[in-house]
Amino acid sequence: MQPVFRYTHLDTPIHRLHPLVKLAYVLLTLVLVMYPIKEGDMPVLLIWLGFSAVLWALARIELRGFTTLLKILTGTFIFLILIQGFTYRGGNTPLIVLGHLKLWEADLGVITKEGVWFGLVLCVRILVATSSLPLFVMTTPTSAIMTAMGKLRIPQTVTFMLVSALSFTTLLFEMWGSIVDAQKLRAFDIDSMNFVKRAVKAYVPIITPLILLLFRKANDFQIAMETKGFGAPVEPTEIETLTARPVDYLWLALIVIVFMLCTALKFAR
Amino acid sequence: MANDVIISLQDVTFTYEGDVVALRNLNLTAQKGEFVVVLGANGAGKSTLCYLLSGIVPHIYGGRRRGHVSVAGLDPWDEPLYVTSQRCGVLMQDPEVQLFMPTLKAELAFGPANLGVPQDEIIRRSQAALALVRLEGLEEHNPRDLSGGQKQRAALAAVLTMSPQVLVLDEPTSQLDPLGRWEVVEAIERLKQKGDLTIVMTTHETEEVLRLADQVVVLERGETVLQGTPSEVFAQAERLEEAGVKTPALILVQSKLLRSGGDKTAPLGEERVDLTLSEVANQTRESVETGRLTVHPEALPRPRPVASDGPVLLEARNLTVEYPGPPAVTALRDVNVQIRQGEFVGIVGQNGSGKSTLVKCFVGLLRPKKGEVLFRGESIRKLSVGEIARRVGLVLQNPDYQLFTASCRDEIRFGLRNVGVPPEEMEQRVEESLRLVGLSEEADLFPFRLSFGDRRKLAVAATMALDPEVLIMDEPTTAQDHRGRYQLAELARCFHEEKQGTVLMITHDVDLIARYAHRLIVLYEGQVLLDGPTAEVFTQVEELKKSFVVPPVAAQLARELAPLGVPPHVMTLGGLYQVLVSQRDEGEVV
Repeated sequence: MQPVFRYTHLDTPIHRLHPLVKLAYVLLTLVLVMYPIKEGDMPVLLIWLGFSAVLWALARIELRGFTTLLKILTGTFIFLILIQGFTYRGGNTPLIVLGHLKLWEADLGVITKEGVWFGLVLCVRILVATSSLPLFVMTTPTSAIMTAMGKLRIPQTVTFMLVSALSFTTLLFEMWGSIVDAQKLRAFDIDSMNFVKRAVKAYVPIITPLILLLFRKANDFQIAMETKGFGAPVEPTEIETLTARPVDYLWLALIVIVFMLCTALKFAR
Repeated sequence: MANDVIISLQDVTFTYEGDVVALRNLNLTAQKGEFVVVLGANGAGKSTLCYLLSGIVPHIYGGRRRGHVSVAGLDPWDEPLYVTSQRCGVLMQDPEVQLFMPTLKAELAFGPANLGVPQDEIIRRSQAALALVRLEGLEEHNPRDLSGGQKQRAALAAVLTMSPQVLVLDEPTSQLDPLGRWEVVEAIERLKQKGDLTIVMTTHETEEVLRLADQVVVLERGETVLQGTPSEVFAQAERLEEAGVKTPALILVQSKLLRSGGDKTAPLGEERVDLTLSEVANQTRESVETGRLTVHPEALPRPRPVASDGPVLLEARNLTVEYPGPPAVTALRDVNVQIRQGEFVGIVGQNGSGKSTLVKCFVGLLRPKKGEVLFRGESIRKLSVGEIARRVGLVLQNPDYQLFTASCRDEIRFGLRNVGVPPEEMEQRVEESLRLVGLSEEADLFPFRLSFGDRRKLAVAATMALDPEVLIMDEPTTAQDHRGRYQLAELARCFHEEKQGTVLMITHDVDLIARYAHRLIVLYEGQVLLDGPTAEVFTQVEELKKSFVVPPVAAQLARELAPLGVPPHVMTLGGLYQVLVSQRDEGEVV
């Protein structure tokens, strides 16, 4: 299985793309999701999400690696839709009436159509926001990320903090799985617990050893890095030479055009 | 060998913060190209010595030092780590934490790039390092996807691209399988042959490095207790034993049976220590022919036969397990195994042969799509892992994945509470389990304050407290020194003999198998290659070669000496000494 957030060496158009072009896509995605949100934003967000989906498909990233993340997101989405359904103030077309509990302008006993729609817009916005970074880190070698960030004059320490965090993510998932297995072997069956029970007591036996192990691993990483000259007060050599090809400019143009289209659509109304 | 001193330690004492004295009055001199092997039990100060040479102490681990240290002309104490790292490279035990780049090429370039080494020089160093560790062609691979031995060789190559003059290897093979160990030692041997690096290596595996060593240092509680050439040091088998260091089996045999005149107390002097099996076999043959040794095949009783009449406790039936890809990996192929009540079974095989997958199926952590696992004839498909844990206990290699409470007692209570044991009985079981593993006095200690060996014992106690019928141990000798390596196996033996329990033990340690298991299963590429009484399986030398399993030295010698009447069921040195008796010992007996 392709681990989440880990670079996989494949030969796809997205893997070959210049890291700065991919970084531009990440930044423009962030700009897009930071625009003030309105309930009419759905077409804009869907265009960008569709565009991202095409990039994901071209990069051959498998969704099954994201099962846990998608489960967490699904829970969040249901929560958001319900909360907005009950509390949204931009409309009051009833969808489901459970009773009437007036609190200022909102009727907390009614799930409104506008509230559910706004909840859905928020969900798509979260999807858009979370789709860009995995695409970047899973298709760009760490060395290329470091070189690209170096070109943007970002300090090496900051870049390496990001890169190490990515490397730790993979390790974190592996350790999490091993700890859950170890506790299951002591009849601690987390899978059979309900949501509330898990939240209240299940994670202590898992998170405590995880934190202790992470501290230890972080120490080992520090040794490995510093004994390889990390932090030396010299200009590091660029491990990877990045050269922009015509196709990179074409991709950059396409990303910018889609972004401008989305921006125009958003502010046209 | 050039006559210039590269490492010089004079009267060095090092104390960690918290006043723990790790090294006392240490003296060590090594010249260019010299290979120094440092031996000692866990806690003897081996790793601290590595840290001291490579500058990890004091730049990462603080403490106080007394005495003079010079490594390739520098005192690591006075220089920043990036300066020392250009003179002295260090390779640690765990390859996983030393590899963090996405490709091997980037991994090798990481160090020199940090130092601003020109790109063409980085490429030259990388190519040379890859050729030396024989990983050419894997430049674009993710180091995390390599096998254990390849990972450690990749980490070694990454150290070599720093172009150090001194290479410090801290137990570099301790976490590898036999093939991985062989690959790493072979790479180290090539480095030694090049002759321009001074190498300091700590290890528990004396057999592996003896032929390479120019100087051997034995540490005990931070002090040097033996130091000299391999011949000088290994002549002192009893002192080595006291210091928790294993004397290679062939030297022990020579010392015990073949020394001229049978005088066991005479020093070895300048006798060779890099003995081969056929040399010792030939010497033994000569001794038998000249009457200095006599063969008593009847002195060693035949091993207990494999229980064939007990009820079947665990059964894997047509088990096939595939891990999804890319690339998909078939971990088990149509495996059929029966484990009967009262058996003590060893499971061996290379990493990736399916050992862990098989036991994970036995405890329900993996649910096979094809085939079935049965406990007492009933499928375990509908049981949760927790329900299976009351019947089949698995002790994992790393105890730190499970320890989380404030005391050892609480740690054992946790599992018992999960299975609903009443409070009174719970306390009884807690005390009994702690007593069994010898941790009664540490019952109220925070588990992470225990040594690694004791933490593993605590994990065993937590599993045994659940009172399972089957106990499975995964690699009980990992990261243990010579003295501590059989502690967990001894606990398994107690469980087997005193509680009439059934034991499965996954290991690479053939000596451990020879000593404890009466049945041996060899897995190879997801299939059962061999399965039978341990002594019989150890005679299948050609089949065993496929999975890189080498029978214990005693079994190999017995095979060589079979024409003299040495029985094939000799598997341990103790057994060999019972069968081959020197004139002198016979005299003593009379």
